[in-house]
Amino acid sequence: MSTELEKIESLAKKEYKYGWTTDIESDSLPLGLNEDIIKALSAKKNEPEFMLSWRLKAFKRWQQMEEPNWAKVNYPKIDYQKISYYSAPKKKKKLKSLDEVDPELLRTYEKLGIPLAEQEKLAGVAVDAVFDSVSVATTFKDKLSELGIIFCSFSEAVQNHPDLVKKYLGSVVPATDNFFASLNSAVFSDGSFVYVPKGVRCPMELSTYFRINAADTGQFERTLIVAEEGSYVSYLEGCTAPMRDENQLHAAVVELVAHKDAEIKYSTVQNWYPGDSEGNGGIYNFVTKRGICKEENAKISWTQVETGSAITWKYPSVILKGDNSIGEFYSVAMTNNMQQADTGTKMIHLGKNTKSNIVSKGISAGKSNNSYRGLVKISKHAEHARNFSQCDSLLIGDKCGAHTFPYIDVHNTSAQIEHEATTSKIGEDQIFYLNQRGISTEDAVSMIVNGYCKEVFRELPMEFAVEAQNLLSLSLEGSVG
Amino acid sequence: MLEIKDLSASIEGNKILKGIDLKVNPGEIHAIMGPNGSGKSTLANVLAGREEYEITGGSILFEDNDLLELDPEDRAREGLFLAFQYPVEIPGVSNSYFLKTAYNEKRKYQGMEEIDAADFLMIMKEKMKLVEMDQALINRPVPMG
Repeated sequence: MSTELEKIESLAKKEYKYGWTTDIESDSLPLGLNEDIIKALSAKKNEPEFMLSWRLKAFKRWQQMEEPNWAKVNYPKIDYQKISYYSAPKKKKKLKSLDEVDPELLRTYEKLGIPLAEQEKLAGVAVDAVFDSVSVATTFKDKLSELGIIFCSFSEAVQNHPDLVKKYLGSVVPATDNFFASLNSAVFSDGSFVYVPKGVRCPMELSTYFRINAADTGQFERTLIVAEEGSYVSYLEGCTAPMRDENQLHAAVVELVAHKDAEIKYSTVQNWYPGDSEGNGGIYNFVTKRGICKEENAKISWTQVETGSAITWKYPSVILKGDNSIGEFYSVAMTNNMQQADTGTKMIHLGKNTKSNIVSKGISAGKSNNSYRGLVKISKHAEHARNFSQCDSLLIGDKCGAHTFPYIDVHNTSAQIEHEATTSKIGEDQIFYLNQRGISTEDAVSMIVNGYCKEVFRELPMEFAVEAQNLLSLSLEGSVG
Repeated sequence: MLEIKDLSASIEGNKILKGIDLKVNPGEIHAIMGPNGSGKSTLANVLAGREEYEITGGSILFEDNDLLELDPEDRAREGLFLAFQYPVEIPGVSNSYFLKTAYNEKRKYQGMEEIDAADFLMIMKEKMKLVEMDQALINRPVPMG
């Protein structure tokens, strides 16, 4: 009995596959945060006046805010004056093609399995690669620009499309939204910007790989996606980070704006360094992600596979403002060893006949804690709003925890709300059954877990779904495959 | 082929099998009969290698291998198959994927190449026709419906 359990637990332990540091000279600002640092950062990036004043406003607000403590996570107090708020690979000149990219950087991408050059041709994926904080290469831009689609780094958008940035920046997640969002607003260094014009269906999956590199550098990314009337875009975000002893803070903000009849699909595979089995190191992932279905028939769909980070604090949300708009959230959150995750979604129904769908699959192993926290809010004027939520938890071993905190707040009696929840353990019966068909315990656990997550994986774009399955198997296996 | 000698086994301290002897030769079919609680399932589970059972004495030889030394999956790969009275459910895993994985494990064990999903589907459809089984079962989860 207990040996079987130990076996499963040992399977759940594995060394982080993507642990190394790339040796590239970084150009960092001194540690600490004050108005001068923000001014220096803004000047370094040659930003227009409105950006600087926006940052300073956010910083003023942030100084008056308290770090939130309601999430079911524990971590030592972060000293925000001991963080460097900017780090960019030193560049000699502007990069025009991949050939000009630092070869060391390209090797890092290869280790990660992201051969940019190949991906360009083979997968048809345009990758806007963010290494530390500055975008080094953007591909497929020409093809996209023919359709009027803008896909570039945030810095470029600020330079080349200031009107769009000014119009939409902070329109979904205001600079004053919450502690980590305000911090991000004050100091964000780069990120991605997507604009899809009216009636255009983006012909390829847009993808960005984030990677934190320089030691002690907080990573503050900002992503803004705007889909005009009748347009469609699918965006993929995937991340890995090298092994580190210090905790690294990551406070990103993602804003999505879907206009009338527009659809945005946002998929994430997150595999940042989770810390060692004793809970040393690992990324603190405090992210604010929110989308708004601004007008009627808009649709926003979040899909996330979260296996990394020491702490995940993240609630991708949808504000269903337009009538008949749809919000979706599909999530797999896997925690192992000492990892902590407090994640879920908020569906805010404002418009009539709005619909939301939530499928959350938590997997806890080791001594980890995994919480689902979600809010479904039906406002007074949201006639005939509908929500379906399903929150499942799977436990591996007997030292981990799974928690569910669903908040439901209904102000309109015509609403229909359904909530289902299950908690299960990987059964010895299941493993024995698979063993008896010639399947090893390791493969059996992987098969059971992947089956459990199927509903979420099928929402992922094809290439990501395969990656996500591998990632889960990796996170579970004793040996690195 | 299968030789059980003086086999004793217990579960949670209860002695269930007390000195079983059985020899099965190739091609023979044996039915083990007995009232509830007489140890039929225990014998099957012990042969298949279920961990809860403690072997307290005796030996099992399967094609000259010491069966008790093998993990359950290796016993299966050697050709020992246990039909489950109450098969467990594995949500989200389709029958075809499950069967293909099991089939390939066996092929790998025998030093043969694994076959891909398309080829396996052909084999499976052919066999299903043979036993007049509904094709809709292919994509159902293991082993519902």
